[in-house]
Amino acid sequence: MRLHTVLGFALSFFLAAILARADATLEGHVQLPKPHTAPVMNKRYEIVTKAGVVATDPPLAVVYLAGNFPAPATPAVAEVSQKDYAFSPPLLPIQVGTKVEFPNHDEAYHNIFSYSAAKRFDLGRYRPDEKPVPFVVFDKPGLVTLRCDIHEHMRGAVLVLETPYFVLSDTAGQYRLTGLPAGHYTLKAWIDSKTTLSHEVDLKDGETTHLDLP
Amino acid sequence: MMGVVIAVSAIGLYFADASATNEVEQNLQRQFQTQVSGLHQLQEIRHAALVERCRALIRKPRIHAALEDNALDLLYPSAKDELQDLMDDEEQSPADSVQGLRARFYRFLDHDGNLIRAQNPEQAGALPIAEAEQLALPHLPDRQQIGYIPVTGPQGPSLVETIAMPIRSSETSELISAIVLGFRPLGLGGTSNTGIRSGVWVNDQLFISGVSDATRAALTTAVSDAIKQGRSGSSLPAKLDGVRSLLVYTQLNPDSLYPPAYEVCLYPLTELEVRRAHLRWQILGSGALLLFVGLVSSHLLSLRLSAPVEKLAVDSAKNLERRERAEAALESTSAELHRSARFSADASHQLKTPVTVLRAGLEELLARPNLTVEECNELAGLVHQTYRLNSIIEDLLLLSRMDAGRLKLELAPVNLSQLIEGWLDDLSALPDPLQLTIESDFPPRLHVEGEMRYTTLILQNLLENARKYNCAGGKIRIAAHVEDEWVLLTVGNTGRPIPRGAQEHIFERFHRGAAAGNIPGHGLGLNLARELARLHKGDLRLARSEENWTEFEVRFLAVAQPAKPSPVGA
Repeated sequence: MRLHTVLGFALSFFLAAILARADATLEGHVQLPKPHTAPVMNKRYEIVTKAGVVATDPPLAVVYLAGNFPAPATPAVAEVSQKDYAFSPPLLPIQVGTKVEFPNHDEAYHNIFSYSAAKRFDLGRYRPDEKPVPFVVFDKPGLVTLRCDIHEHMRGAVLVLETPYFVLSDTAGQYRLTGLPAGHYTLKAWIDSKTTLSHEVDLKDGETTHLDLP
Repeated sequence: MMGVVIAVSAIGLYFADASATNEVEQNLQRQFQTQVSGLHQLQEIRHAALVERCRALIRKPRIHAALEDNALDLLYPSAKDELQDLMDDEEQSPADSVQGLRARFYRFLDHDGNLIRAQNPEQAGALPIAEAEQLALPHLPDRQQIGYIPVTGPQGPSLVETIAMPIRSSETSELISAIVLGFRPLGLGGTSNTGIRSGVWVNDQLFISGVSDATRAALTTAVSDAIKQGRSGSSLPAKLDGVRSLLVYTQLNPDSLYPPAYEVCLYPLTELEVRRAHLRWQILGSGALLLFVGLVSSHLLSLRLSAPVEKLAVDSAKNLERRERAEAALESTSAELHRSARFSADASHQLKTPVTVLRAGLEELLARPNLTVEECNELAGLVHQTYRLNSIIEDLLLLSRMDAGRLKLELAPVNLSQLIEGWLDDLSALPDPLQLTIESDFPPRLHVEGEMRYTTLILQNLLENARKYNCAGGKIRIAAHVEDEWVLLTVGNTGRPIPRGAQEHIFERFHRGAAAGNIPGHGLGLNLARELARLHKGDLRLARSEENWTEFEVRFLAVAQPAKPSPVGA
């Protein structure tokens, strides 16, 4: 009985992989706004809100393939840790339904919460070695701003997308998406909470398509 | 005088009144300014507290999150805990000293300055939505804004002082919101025990307690008009329930985005009126006193001043009378003198001729050959008497000329020494029955100012007397010396002294001493000599007369010795 179940799951996975064979690649460059601060050598960036607009600084883009993709059978698990009184990574793109864990790697309490419409939650205060690790399942697409009720400067964001195909560009705006399914899609680049660039794209198996935005 | 005092009092009254009014008004203005500045200080304290509170508030990530993450529904619930201690607690005593720092309500404005409505107004202090809309601003302020909005409370319409504090992002410092807190107005609308009433004018409405509706309406119009005319922070006269008052107003929220509100203070001027009346009486009283004192003192002064004048007037009247009498007497005397001088002159002239005729007749008789010795002696005596008579007539004529002021001396240097020597020679030639010794002591060439003829006469008279009134074996002493500008000549002789009582009369006319019984003379000599000495600008006096020695002193004006001695007996 148990064995059968396991085999059944394995078979269905295999079939799904056959059906949705995806090995197209998309790469290009996203035109990013000028950074607010001088570029630094390390690749750290942070979330800032200016005039009600949430963005990263220096600016980065989340490039993703828009479309109606089925949710994964097993929800993905991601992690935003609190380290050195900052969220890591500061911006986390995820697919809807992903479970995000918020481990505390600092030596102080944290209290992660969000008032964002996409997901309101409040994890309450928890210790560094809190077990089980506090987590949130993001079940609605949208931008979720992360804050700590204890450390007012801590700012993070989770971009909940309806697609499993997404990538964070580098600070120069270069991106590369791999394993994409062939077909006609809309490529989108989230730059900040008010700005999302988009472009139609045709993807073919085994080919690398180059697309610059805008 | 009185007019001047009254005018001065009136002017003093006017100026004192004006200055008193001015001073009182200034005092009231100052009082008002102090009150308003006290209010402003309180507002500043509250402001500082609120700034700190808002800073702390915006540091709260939940409020930041509510504002920035478009979760306005969570704003008031998030702020509730933070602002709880700021809110008015109905259960607390209203006399709480921090009452002024406790808010009745609070509301947030969004980044456009619009009101963010509270879902549950109870949490943020009840305020009807229509009234809450008054809290909105055209845009978010970059600093504190003070406003006054009318609200309807349980006790009717009242005023709420609102303070809008900007809320800035802790990350970017940009304005993201504003919190507006509503307070009971600080120290406004009260009525102090001095009768001063204060209120607030806003939006053409005056919120002031304790006045009738009509008064309120009148005051509202007056203040509205004054403010519309652009006068700010000024005063105007007003009537409060029939009491003259001073209305002072000043803007409470200059440069605010909220409608301008003015603090209005009404000071009853009853105290001023009382003080003014008091002052007026004081000034009038002091003026009257001054007037009275002035009158009395001027009266006394004038009395004192006029006393000598009156005395003078009386005296002068007396004097005038006396003078008139004296003048009359003088006139009559003068006339008499004139008459007598004339008479003397006339008589002398008239007498001279018969005396000459008489002498000529007698001399003719004496020349007859058939006369006996007795007859001859008799006639000779008569002739001698005519000479004597002639001499008297001459003297009288001279005196009368002097009395009439008709004798003018032609003064010239006269050699007195020579004159004396000449006379001494003559004297030695005369018979000397008394065996007199003559002493003389005078420097040669003594010159005096005089007319030879009369100087000689003086000398002659004195020497004649010295010889006549001497005693047997007696002495005559003549001395002269220069003393300053004078030449003093003394003629002394032995003989019975002049009695003390008679000394002062010897220069009188026709006076003859008691000793002169059998001495020839007619009592004119000394008088004539003195008058002549005085005409010489000198004088004659009795130097001494005692112990058988009588001495006269005559003074002449000395003259410098002329280069050529003047001829003797010219």
